[in-house]
Amino acid sequence: MKIETKLIVSNIVNGAFIILIGFFAFQNMNLVLTKLRFVEIADDLNASFLTMRLSEKNYFLYHDLQALGEIREKIDSTEMTLEAERSNIIPAIGETDLRKLEDLLRAYGETIGAANGTVRPSDEQEARIRNEGRQLKEYADSITQLERKRVNEIILSSKRILIFSFWAILVSALLISHFISQKIVQSLRQIEKMTRSISEGNFAQVATGRPRDELGTVIDAVNHMSEELAHREEQIIQSKKLASLGILTAGVAHEITNPLNNISMIAQTYDELYRNLSDEEKTDMMQKVDAETERIRKIVKNLLDFSKPKDANPREESINEVIQKTLTLVQNMIDVQNIETTVKLDERLPRVFVDEDQVQQVLVNLVTNAVQAMHAGGRLFISTRGGKGNGSVEITVKDTGKGIAPEYLPHIFDPFFSTKGEGGTGLGLSVSYGIIKNHGGEIRVESKVGVGTTFTVELPIHHLAKERTNG
Amino acid sequence: MDKKRIMVIDDEKIVGDMAKMSLEQEGYDVETFLNAEPALARLKERAFDVVVTDYKMKGIDGMEVLRMVKKEYPATTVIMITAFANLDAAIEALRGDVHDFFPKPVKIKELKASIRRALEKVS
Repeated sequence: MKIETKLIVSNIVNGAFIILIGFFAFQNMNLVLTKLRFVEIADDLNASFLTMRLSEKNYFLYHDLQALGEIREKIDSTEMTLEAERSNIIPAIGETDLRKLEDLLRAYGETIGAANGTVRPSDEQEARIRNEGRQLKEYADSITQLERKRVNEIILSSKRILIFSFWAILVSALLISHFISQKIVQSLRQIEKMTRSISEGNFAQVATGRPRDELGTVIDAVNHMSEELAHREEQIIQSKKLASLGILTAGVAHEITNPLNNISMIAQTYDELYRNLSDEEKTDMMQKVDAETERIRKIVKNLLDFSKPKDANPREESINEVIQKTLTLVQNMIDVQNIETTVKLDERLPRVFVDEDQVQQVLVNLVTNAVQAMHAGGRLFISTRGGKGNGSVEITVKDTGKGIAPEYLPHIFDPFFSTKGEGGTGLGLSVSYGIIKNHGGEIRVESKVGVGTTFTVELPIHHLAKERTNG
Repeated sequence: MDKKRIMVIDDEKIVGDMAKMSLEQEGYDVETFLNAEPALARLKERAFDVVVTDYKMKGIDGMEVLRMVKKEYPATTVIMITAFANLDAAIEALRGDVHDFFPKPVKIKELKASIRRALEKVS
């Protein structure tokens, strides 16, 4: 269910609850009003009954016939009141009680009527009048008291219901908001985790327990973006390679100049001296031309190999050989800058399952960065050694360049982060990072401003081999 | 009159070999070296009229050779050849009083002409 729907539903439920309680409270209020109206009437009636009983007493004590008339009058007026207020009384006490009251009143009236004109009623008559009068008064009292009690009860229960519903609404609102924010926070965390892993170059999809709501949609979008990025990464790797190629080509052009000059000088010398040359000398010169041509061919082939877009093709390679091949590509760039290179390769290294082309690209990037960080006369150290527990190999590229400021260090593997101004695309190290990650390896950097920078690449020996058998 | 003495320093062996063949044909006494250290040591033993040196070499490079020769043996002419056709390098070399500066591939006839001019100037 969408979060929006959940919010609407929970609000509707809470709202309906509040309306229900309001309606209930309204009903109770009405009931209380009715009962109060009755209590008012009942007070009047009680007053009348009290008067009746007083007149009754006067009649018995003073044998005053006028008192009987007064009782009669009160009975009539009370009957009229009961009749007139019928619609107000019935809802409060019900028809049965009203009829009972009317019956009692009528009986009393009849007994009083029977006593009419009798100055001295018989004992039996007196007892009956007293009895019925008392019954009437008591009954009216009991009803009134009962109604008062009921009014109290209704108000109390209304109060209780209001207090209960206040807590119920509060708790449900808290629960709902807690639940929803929990859900949002959870999903946001998931998205945060995804984007973090994407920024590290890991484009794996995150699909675990994807909720079917807006956040699910966001996760879908991030997943889609991740897929696209994985696709683009290949293009970025290739375009970055072409960018490195630009730098390499300049160096390689110089590299070719030496064998070219050799061939040219042999040709010129031959042309000038061929009459005086022995057959052996001629053969030797031609063989040298051939060897120098081979030298050029190798350089060009390395460059072409490097530039060709290739599908990832991991094989068992000697990391040392990969480094040597890379050096033929970058040697000239290093020489132009008058940089002294020290290469120290551990000959006992095991072969490593890697994509040679990609690892070469990482090395070209690292060496190019190192050379660009140094002024003429810097020193470049390239070395290999066995990594942790002999399960990996470690390549170190160290320069004596200007170093990287500590505040830039955490960002140097971020895409498009560059400190080279217009010269850098900010992709070299991020592409390198991606390549090494794909190999299950690690690339680390240490740097001190003014002292130099060391990049360490650690490649596990079997990672890609395993990937291949698994995948 | 003694043969004019020419020294060629280049870490590409073929450069020295071909220059030697070609220049000996002209009647020069030619010695070749693959790097600067033994060449400079040799200069202490014998005087050379012309030193042809590569610009870019491992260890002591062409600029260093130029400086040392000009300091120790001001009469010796230095000609520089280089695979890096780089304007900055040429300017630096000319400031260091180089006689001539040839980008590779070198035209041997031009090199010979340059050596001839240098020797005429001295004598």
